[in-house]
Amino acid sequence: MMHNIFIIARREYLERVRTRAFVIMTIFIPALMFGVTVLPSLIAMRMTGGSKHLVVAASDRQMAELIRDQLQKPRDDGEELQGRNKSAGSKYDVEVDTNVSDSERAALNDKVKQKRLDGVIWATDEALAANKIPYITRDVSNLSDTFGTQQVVSRAIHRRLLQKKGLSDTEIESALKPVGMEMLSPTGEGAKNPLLTFFTVFGMVMVMYMTVLLYGINVMRAVLDEKTSRIMEVMLSTATAKEMMIGKILGVGAVGLTQIAIWTATTGLLSAPGLIAGSGMIKGIISIKLGIFFPIFFLLGFMLYSTMYAAIGAMVNSEQEAQQLQFLVAMPLIASIIVLVQILQNPATPLATWASIFPLTAPLVMFTRIALDQTQSIPSWQIALSIGLLVATIYGLMVLCGRIYRIGILMYGKKPTLPEIMKWIRYA
Amino acid sequence: MQTIELNKVRKMYDQFVAVNDLTFSIEQGGVFGLLGPNGAGKTSTIRMMIGITAPDSGQINMFGKPFERKSLQKVGYLPEERGLYKKMKILDQLVFLGELHGMEASAARQAALVWCRRLEIDAWLQKKVEELSKGMQQKIQFIAALLHDPDFIIMDEPFFGLDPVNAALLKDVMLDLKKKGKTILFSTHRMDQVEKLCDSICIINKGNAVLQGDLKQVKAGYGKNNVQIQYEGDGAFLENNSLVETYNNYGNYVEVRMASGADPQQLLRMAAEKSRISRFELMEPSLEEIFIEVVGKNDA
Repeated sequence: MMHNIFIIARREYLERVRTRAFVIMTIFIPALMFGVTVLPSLIAMRMTGGSKHLVVAASDRQMAELIRDQLQKPRDDGEELQGRNKSAGSKYDVEVDTNVSDSERAALNDKVKQKRLDGVIWATDEALAANKIPYITRDVSNLSDTFGTQQVVSRAIHRRLLQKKGLSDTEIESALKPVGMEMLSPTGEGAKNPLLTFFTVFGMVMVMYMTVLLYGINVMRAVLDEKTSRIMEVMLSTATAKEMMIGKILGVGAVGLTQIAIWTATTGLLSAPGLIAGSGMIKGIISIKLGIFFPIFFLLGFMLYSTMYAAIGAMVNSEQEAQQLQFLVAMPLIASIIVLVQILQNPATPLATWASIFPLTAPLVMFTRIALDQTQSIPSWQIALSIGLLVATIYGLMVLCGRIYRIGILMYGKKPTLPEIMKWIRYA
Repeated sequence: MQTIELNKVRKMYDQFVAVNDLTFSIEQGGVFGLLGPNGAGKTSTIRMMIGITAPDSGQINMFGKPFERKSLQKVGYLPEERGLYKKMKILDQLVFLGELHGMEASAARQAALVWCRRLEIDAWLQKKVEELSKGMQQKIQFIAALLHDPDFIIMDEPFFGLDPVNAALLKDVMLDLKKKGKTILFSTHRMDQVEKLCDSICIINKGNAVLQGDLKQVKAGYGKNNVQIQYEGDGAFLENNSLVETYNNYGNYVEVRMASGADPQQLLRMAAEKSRISRFELMEPSLEEIFIEVVGKNDA
């Protein structure tokens, strides 16, 4: 039994890993990810890399100079402004102009239009009184630039107002110091960076979702391939249908794991310097907990869905025929993602609890709950129940789908109807 | 020892009886023909023998003991539905199938090389199946069934789609295996091709065994009531003759089937009156004729 499964799984694995498609996928997906995530910010960095030439016009020269100083000050002093980071931030070359006549404004406007100037901040007294300062720029849709500039300018104006009230520089400094917040769980455990946690968990869940779907469908294709090549009967003279099905699932699954391992290793190597620098932070996020539960739920999820996909492959004669059935199987996966969106906002709803115990949604949902749960609030019986039900369901499905498989792989011709499939299950 | 024994084996699909209480056995070293028209239940019977399906009732013994999966390592099966992994290299494929039959990879490789040399396809070992011609794929399929040196060889429609050269090659291989004491089961509806190879037969129709036994005895039981006549002159003696059941006239050569109980000598006298006879021979019925008669009677 085990021997046959091993031989079948090994063949499946080797034949797949040797294909050009595998090599292309393994290289292409990370390249695509890189293209989507890193490239735009690289481009953005290059684009904003040059210095911007601005004019600050204000009747109050000191105010204008304050704005200039704030804009030109390198922002590495803890007063990090939200919405822009140091590396991507623009350098400014700022001129002060105390002429606030309409003709001057028109002249500056023309300069911006002719690209001799990048922007004009029109901080006149009227504008200040109206709490709305015109910022003339060709780049009106550049959100991060507008947002950043707005913060700098408003900070300078506050500073100037406090100066006028006669406060000393140190007093102003302490008054303007931004207040942060530190999340603490009731257990007193230090908080992790919530944004980073969110993205890490989200990333892992997406990898799980994509891989389960992708390789589940691969299992289906593999079965279909074998059916159309008519090698089934040759195989069945030594191996049982169940051995063939399990071997196939394990072989294709191992290919998936290989691919993920290659991606993880590459990412690890590429980002090694960053990892060492931020190792404390990373340690906080990729906890042992995730290291244990990710493989568990990934493997269980994969086994669960590929068993169903294998049964579909055995039932139909072509991929077109498989489409509808494929959608039926993918539905709980898609439902999991919908539930996840809710859980990410509020992990403690009854919906979350039930979805994390129901076997078809459990792999994605329970993993997310565990990953986001910083207060150990999930009772361990729920986790145990979820895993237990999953294992039982996988076993049940393997028996059930094994029967469909056994009859289906020798059936050619018309697509079976539901009553016929029920009959297969009963007769096998 | 009996290599395989079926005792009242029955298989039903829904209300349809595919195999109805079939009983036969094959002696070790015997060559057996499981014959029948399309849809008679041949493939269903074979599938039960090798455990792809289970009989609804009845007993199957293989190598002298009740069926167990381990016995399958000594069985070679060539299914009617031929198939190989199209994208896999020939040698890899044969080694894979050999391993599934319990061979060590190295032994399987060795055996594959020997067989491929014998069937003259050793130049193609590193090619993928899809690059091969149909005939070569057939050869690979045969090798796959014989690679592990099985004691019991089951071939479902072995000559189907083979050109005469390859058919002769396969027949030689089969005779060689027979000499080595292997038990062989042919399943086919093409009688002419297995007639010369088989020791015993079982004809099935609609799931029922309608005739079985030693081929010589079966033929003897049907008597020598076929006559071949070579003649010159008038063939009218064949018309409206109560001695003749049917005949096939080829001009100056005719094959006659005598009516039951008719005396061939009487026909000879009648023929000699009207024409010159250069040959008059009593013939054994061919397996095909027996088959058509038995199955035709069974259908009527």
